[in-house]
Amino acid sequence: MDPLVITAHTLTSAAGTGIAANAEALRNGVSGLRPCDLESVSLDTHIGRVPGVEAITLKGELAPFQCRNNQLAELGLRQDGFADAVAAAVARYGADRVAVLLGTSTSGIAATEAAYHRRDPQTRALPPDYDYQHTQNMFSLADFVATRFGLSGPALVVSTACSSSAKVFADARRYMAAGLCDAAVVGGVDSLCGMTLYGFNALQLVAAQPCTPLDRDRAGISIGEAAGFFLLERPSPDTTGPRLTGHGESSDAHHMSAPHPEGLGAATALQQALERGGRRGDEIDYVLMHATATPANDGAEARALVRSLGPRPRAVGTKGLTGHTLGAAGAVGVAQALASLDGGFVPPTAGLKMLDPQLDLEARGEAEPRLVQRVLVNAFGFGGNNCSLLLEAAP
Amino acid sequence: MKAIGLHAVGLLGPGLDDFDSARPVLAGETPLASREVHVPPPGLLPANERRRTTATIRLALKVAEEATEGADRSRLRSVFASSSGDMDIIDRICDALTQPEPVVSPVQFHNSVHNAPAGNWSIATRNPAPATALSGYNASLAAGLLEAATLQLDEGGDVLLACYDVPSMDSFIHVRPIHHPFAVALRLGPVDGAPWQLQLDLGGPAAADPCHSDDLEALRGSNPAARALPLLERLVRGTPGNVTLEAPLGRSLNIRVGP
Repeated sequence: MDPLVITAHTLTSAAGTGIAANAEALRNGVSGLRPCDLESVSLDTHIGRVPGVEAITLKGELAPFQCRNNQLAELGLRQDGFADAVAAAVARYGADRVAVLLGTSTSGIAATEAAYHRRDPQTRALPPDYDYQHTQNMFSLADFVATRFGLSGPALVVSTACSSSAKVFADARRYMAAGLCDAAVVGGVDSLCGMTLYGFNALQLVAAQPCTPLDRDRAGISIGEAAGFFLLERPSPDTTGPRLTGHGESSDAHHMSAPHPEGLGAATALQQALERGGRRGDEIDYVLMHATATPANDGAEARALVRSLGPRPRAVGTKGLTGHTLGAAGAVGVAQALASLDGGFVPPTAGLKMLDPQLDLEARGEAEPRLVQRVLVNAFGFGGNNCSLLLEAAP
Repeated sequence: MKAIGLHAVGLLGPGLDDFDSARPVLAGETPLASREVHVPPPGLLPANERRRTTATIRLALKVAEEATEGADRSRLRSVFASSSGDMDIIDRICDALTQPEPVVSPVQFHNSVHNAPAGNWSIATRNPAPATALSGYNASLAAGLLEAATLQLDEGGDVLLACYDVPSMDSFIHVRPIHHPFAVALRLGPVDGAPWQLQLDLGGPAAADPCHSDDLEALRGSNPAARALPLLERLVRGTPGNVTLEAPLGRSLNIRVGP
């Protein structure tokens, strides 16, 4: 496929605010997880909470968008000169030629949860200041980002659970191929809320201790929040940066909340990403796995890796740093892959003590300094929704 | 964008039981007889899965089944577009979260994801092809059409678009006044052999076209998925022409409909 150039990006997660802090935490395996201290939640678990989200106040025409998800988006958009890069893209192409394609799983539902706590005791009516359209509605995130930057290109929010912010990269490639836009702001934001914490807890998928992907004793997920944004453009003499060279998408067609045990859908997504990129499995430096740290998920994904790349592929799980950021997981994975391409290291699998021998993977608890040129990033979601992305260093 | 083929349509709304039986209403020959919408259980799902479906899943799958009648359901890619997703579940979970010791149903939680209809569709049809779920608020139909068209143009083959929204629950009805379910599905594919051709053009700010019939016009604004009605009217009238829909971020989607 025709590659896309990532000309700017930014990441904010529990592991750090901005790409430099996240890259440092990634290289050193420093976890941002902490015991759950979310006001409305009393569960025995660890969370990846981003400091400073509550202090963000959205003003002027952005004021109606005020909710944790858009506050986190705003905190992210203030980092790494991303806003300047978008402004330059607007100047170059026009505001109507810059697409806004973002992923989230729960959007601003924390605002709805809070509004339910403030319902009228007699009529059960929601409080008059509650603004559904600009907070909880799925499209709120794209609307917020477009309003903030004055963008009017094609826009949507993809919400396919934990693959959401990976799939938007594939969308951007197709929208550009169809001539709908010349640049795209892609990525995703998901933020901590009662619904996901209590929901995953009800499914008995939440670990009490910080999650340990790929570990023999892994016991479930830690939930986190993150905002990751990327500016994608076509290759040209003026655009430099790492590239999206392949993507693959598939459905398990198996179960709503459990992966296909053999990872068949995941393997299809990986193979498609390789095919689109014109690469063989042995040309990939490592796979940045979805690796949520539930026993079933990591097992199924490991089988998919072996199926598509051969025995004992080099693999990394990073959710011990950030927690599972759900709809933002794809964006977090891509930003981490870019950090390793740029910094010349294969990241450690943070929290790994004893690699599960049944996974048949090669994974380490420490960073491995070496040239990295090609990384596959996985993001898989409920509904058996799979996406793999192939990222390559600037040529 | 290049033209794509429209091969079949699915429809469900007040007084509109399916696309074929709704043709006289859409053609303006018969008045709309408003009656409560009955959403049948999805025939393609096994019984144990069927019991666990929600109104949103049943609504989306009903029109998806209709638009793919006779087609190979095990291969087509799918796009599920909805402004709000499963508002019933969101209501129940948010209500549960106000309790001192919240208990969230695991089945409700996994059905709460915006792509629950997409996941159920892929399971029901044993279809490993990519499926997506998206929102463009009131312009979810236009966003879904662009998404489906880019998928079709990229790789050819058939693409299913289902667009649907369930009514708001009581506590939400003033916040988001959607009073009845509405759903439409389009099976898009190659131009060859298609009864209609659609040429999409994402335009600047422009008013969306109203419906020809006053009955249908009253429906159009009442549910984001009902924004499809002017397009459906154009399809059954059989004459080439343009339909303008509301697109996200104040844009418009112009659809040139040809035979």
